[in-house]
Amino acid sequence: MAPSVLYHCPCLSTSSIPPPPHLPSSSYSFHPLYTLFFCEECDAVRCNRCVSVEVSGYYCPNCLFEVPSASVRAEKNRCARNCFMCPNCRNTLSVVPSDPPDSGDGRLSAPISTVGEPPFFLYCNHCRWDSSEVGITFEKPTGLAAQLQKLEDSSPDSLEYERLKEHFEPIIRASSLSSSSSAAPSTSHSHHHSNPITAAASAALARDIPGVAKYTPHARSGRHSGKDRSANKDEMPEYKSRLNISNASVYGSGGGDVDVEFMRRLEDVSEVASLEQRWNYSWSTSLETRDLKPLRIPLHSKRSKRCPACTHILIKPEQKAQSVRYKIKLVAANYLPAITVALPHQVEMLGHISAEAAKRSGKAPVEDDKDARDNLQAGKTYPFHMALTNPLYDPIQVRLSVQRVHVAATVTGEGGTIEKARRPPFAISIPTTPFSIAPFAEAWEYEDDEEMFGLDDDELEARLSGREKETKSKSKTVGVLEKRANVTVVGGEVALGKEARGEVKFNMLVAYTYRSDDPAPSEGHDVSPSKKAETKTFAFYTVVDLGNIIPKEKSRVDPYDV
Amino acid sequence: MEPPIYYSRTEFIETDTGNKVSRRATIAGPQNIILGGKTIISSGAIIRGDLRRSGPGHAVVISLGRYCVVGEGCVMRPPYKTYRGAFNYYPMKVGDYVHIGAGSVVEAATIGNYVQIGKNCIIGKFTIIKDCARIADNTVVPPNTVIPALSLFAGSPGRFVEDLAESTQDIVEVHTKQYYSRFQPLDRDR
Repeated sequence: MAPSVLYHCPCLSTSSIPPPPHLPSSSYSFHPLYTLFFCEECDAVRCNRCVSVEVSGYYCPNCLFEVPSASVRAEKNRCARNCFMCPNCRNTLSVVPSDPPDSGDGRLSAPISTVGEPPFFLYCNHCRWDSSEVGITFEKPTGLAAQLQKLEDSSPDSLEYERLKEHFEPIIRASSLSSSSSAAPSTSHSHHHSNPITAAASAALARDIPGVAKYTPHARSGRHSGKDRSANKDEMPEYKSRLNISNASVYGSGGGDVDVEFMRRLEDVSEVASLEQRWNYSWSTSLETRDLKPLRIPLHSKRSKRCPACTHILIKPEQKAQSVRYKIKLVAANYLPAITVALPHQVEMLGHISAEAAKRSGKAPVEDDKDARDNLQAGKTYPFHMALTNPLYDPIQVRLSVQRVHVAATVTGEGGTIEKARRPPFAISIPTTPFSIAPFAEAWEYEDDEEMFGLDDDELEARLSGREKETKSKSKTVGVLEKRANVTVVGGEVALGKEARGEVKFNMLVAYTYRSDDPAPSEGHDVSPSKKAETKTFAFYTVVDLGNIIPKEKSRVDPYDV
Repeated sequence: MEPPIYYSRTEFIETDTGNKVSRRATIAGPQNIILGGKTIISSGAIIRGDLRRSGPGHAVVISLGRYCVVGEGCVMRPPYKTYRGAFNYYPMKVGDYVHIGAGSVVEAATIGNYVQIGKNCIIGKFTIIKDCARIADNTVVPPNTVIPALSLFAGSPGRFVEDLAESTQDIVEVHTKQYYSRFQPLDRDR
C-alpha cells in the first residue's frame, strides 16, 4: 500500500482532537480529502457521515428515465417502463421476440430487436434465464410493466399492502384534518428531533404523507408513557392481516411438508433459490429457483447534501439525471491544502523498475515484489516527502505539527492519552516552522495543460539531480525542499525503533493562515464579513500512513503483508 | 511526487497531437479510428477499426477522446448485431479522460467522459457507460447494460455497488493528465 494521507472529520466525537491512529475504530473518523465537504458558514469540514441528505430527483438506472417524484410512490419506487431485473443474477433483462417457425431455439439466434413475432419474453444476456420459464410472456414489446400490472396487482403482497393502506387511510384522513393545527407542535414535541435538520426532514415527510406527522411522535412516545397511548388508542384500531403469515405462502417456505417434499427430490443445489435471490421480494417466496419472478428495477436517486449544523446546502446536483455537474458544490478540496506523501526511496525504486522494464522489452512493470518494496524496515531511518497544494487564490502560511500526548493535553476532553501512553515505536520529525505556499492561479493550470510534457521533464530533471545530491545534502531532509507553482514540498524523517512493528501512522495537525481581506477572488469571502483585512487561521487534523514495518529478523517478503 | 512511467522511445510513435501509440499494438483499419490527442495506446492492445459498417463511404468505427489510455493487451472491438435480418457493426464512441485497464475487452457502444475501467474487465456489446462511472477490476458487464453516471460497478455480472464521490470528475481529470505527463520516453541511461 502506498503512503496515504487521510483527513479528520470531528463529527463522531465532541472533541476536535482525533482519536489515536492505530485504533481500528479510528478509521471511521478519517476520510480521503475528495470525499469531504466544507461549510463556509460554519467554517468546518463535513463528511458523508454527518451531512444530511435529501433526495433531489429519481431516475431509473437502466432506461435513465427521470421519474417525477409525484409518480414515484404510485410506481412503488420501481421503474414502470420496460426495465426488469433477472431474478437469477440481477442483470438487466432484455425483451426478445419468439422465432416464427421454431420458438424453442429462436431466442439464441435472435438478438435484441423490437420487431419480431409475439409472444415476447424477457431474456437474461448473462445467465440465459428467460421469462417463459415462469410463464410470463407479452403480446407487444413495449410497456411491459403495464402488461404485468394485472399479475402484480393480484399478488398476495400487493393485496396485503392495499389492505394496509385501506386500514390506515381513514386514520390518515382524520389526522390530516387536524394536522394543520397539530402537526407543527407534535413534531417539535418529539425528543428525537432536537436537530433542526431532522425536524425539517420530518416536516417534509409530514407534508408528503399526511398522517405521519401526527402518528410518528405519538407512537414513539406511546411506548414510554401510558397516557399518550390511551389518548391514541381509539385512533389506532388493531390491524388484522389478510392472511396468516404462517400459511401465507402456498409453497410453504416456512419449513412445512411442501418444503420437505421439495428437498427430498432435490438434485442440484442451484434449484434452491439463494437468500440473495429471494431477498428483494417483499413477500415470503418459494424456495425453488424456478419460481422466481422478474423484478422491476428499483429507482436510484440524486441527492443534495446539507451541513448538519447550519442547514446550508453543500451539494446540489443539476436537475438532469445523467449530468455530473453541480449547481452548488462546496468540497473540502477547494478549501484545504491537498497533501500527498511519498517515500523517496520507493518513488526511486518505482522509477527504476519502470525504466528497467522499458529497457528490457517495453512490458509492464512487474508488480509481484511490490509488497516488499512498500514496507519499511525496523531500525532504519527513512526520509519522506509531503507535497502540499494550495487550492486558494491567496498565499497561505502552513504550520505542521505531529500530535503528541502533551499536545493533546492542552485541550480538554481528549480521549487519546491512555492509549497514547504506550509510545509509538517510531519518531517523526517534520519542519515545525511555518512555510508559505503560493496561491493557486488558473494560468498555471493553463500552462500546465499546454506544455505539460516539457514542464514536467524539467521538473523531473530537477528532481533527479536533487535525488543524486541527496547523499551530500543529507542535513536537508527535514524542511522545505521545493516550491513550484502552488505546491510546496516539505521533507520529514521517520526513525523506526529496533523492535518496531505494525504500521507507521501518525496524526498531524495542519494549521494554515490566509488573508481574508480580498472578497472578490477569495473563495472564503462569505466566512468573515466582519473580519476584513485580517488573517484567518484554519486548523485540521490528518493521519499520515507511511506503510508497514517489517521486523528486522524477518525476511523481506512477509506472507502477512498483503 | 509520482514516479515517471518510462517507455522506450523506439516502441512508441508520437503524433502531432500528442497521441502515443505503441508499435506493438495492433491497429486494424487506422483510417476508421480517431484519437483525440494525448491518448496512449499501450503495447499489445488490439483496436479493430476494420470492423466497419457495411456500405460505401468513410465511416468512423472507433473514436477516442483526449487523455485516454488503452491498457496493455486491451481489445477494443465495435459491437455488432443483426437488425432486420442484416448483420452490421456499429460505431464505438469513447469520451475524454477514459482509462481502460490492462487486459480488458471492450465492445461498448458509448463510453462517456472521465470513465475508469479496471483491469481484465469484459464490457459487453452495446453497453452504455455514462460520465464519471467506474468499473472495478475483473468485472463482467453483460451486453446492453446501462451504467449510470457516477456509479461503481463490480462483479459478474457487473452490478451497481455504490455512488461515487461528487468530486470524481476532478480527481479523474487530474489523474489522467498526470498519467500522461508521467508517461515519458527513456532516453537517459539509468
